Amino acid sequence: MKILIADDSRVMRQIVLRTMRQAGFGHHDFVEATDGADALDKVAAESPDLVLSDWNMPNKTGIELLRALRGSGSTVPFGFVTSEGSDEMRQTAQAAGAMFLIAKPFTPESFSDALSGVL
Amino acid sequence: MTVETPDQALVRAAMEQVWESMLYAVAEPWAPGDHPDFRNGLQAQIALTGEWNGELRLTLDGTVAAEIAGAMLGADEDEELPELDVHDAVGEVLNVVGGSVKGALGGATALGLPGVTPVTVAPDHDDCVVVAWRGSPVYVQVVPAAG
Repeated sequence: MKILIADDSRVMRQIVLRTMRQAGFGHHDFVEATDGADALDKVAAESPDLVLSDWNMPNKTGIELLRALRGSGSTVPFGFVTSEGSDEMRQTAQAAGAMFLIAKPFTPESFSDALSGVL
Repeated sequence: MTVETPDQALVRAAMEQVWESMLYAVAEPWAPGDHPDFRNGLQAQIALTGEWNGELRLTLDGTVAAEIAGAMLGADEDEELPELDVHDAVGEVLNVVGGSVKGALGGATALGLPGVTPVTVAPDHDDCVVVAWRGSPVYVQVVPAAG
């Protein structure tokens, strides 16, 4: 499967990637996007099977990205990996069509739990 | 709803989480000693706006910043990281601390994007939560907006 990691922090993209490997998902293919607008382009170009997206990004936020995807008819499985994990944000994410929200700082178990039914 | 200024215990708890989960280290309190040399320091700032307005500032020596970036990336001890990655890592540490603080504040508060700038002077220890990274101080200040 192909997984798109969208985060404006290169360091955080690397940490997400490393944590995915630690959680046992390292055999998948990974594609990176540097912000929400880049992620929207990469979903069209790369057809990922899953999007893991930061929320707070320049150009297009994660929730704007998700709404743009759903507005265009995309049903790609989508989860947030974000520093903000309030109940309100989780509800907003779910209402927009996200499958899960992993709050930073996270552990490999956070990814295992969230992705066990997806990958 | 009244949102109080984030207290130091909240900030310290957020830093302890970051140290444990992102840096694989224990966030020990820093024991004030000699005034650290900050000729090559870095400061990350992130704004909180809404029912509480202000910013969080994380200040640390440049060498400490590079070590933290290396720990986050799993780099070799002697690997020299690009300045961009060091700034990115420091900003992301504060971003995660800011996310925890925002969540604990409640209310309608928005978190901005982190910025990183060079500094030459350490903040006043008494105004900060100070956590040690390999014996060196990492300062976080909560700065309410003026007015």
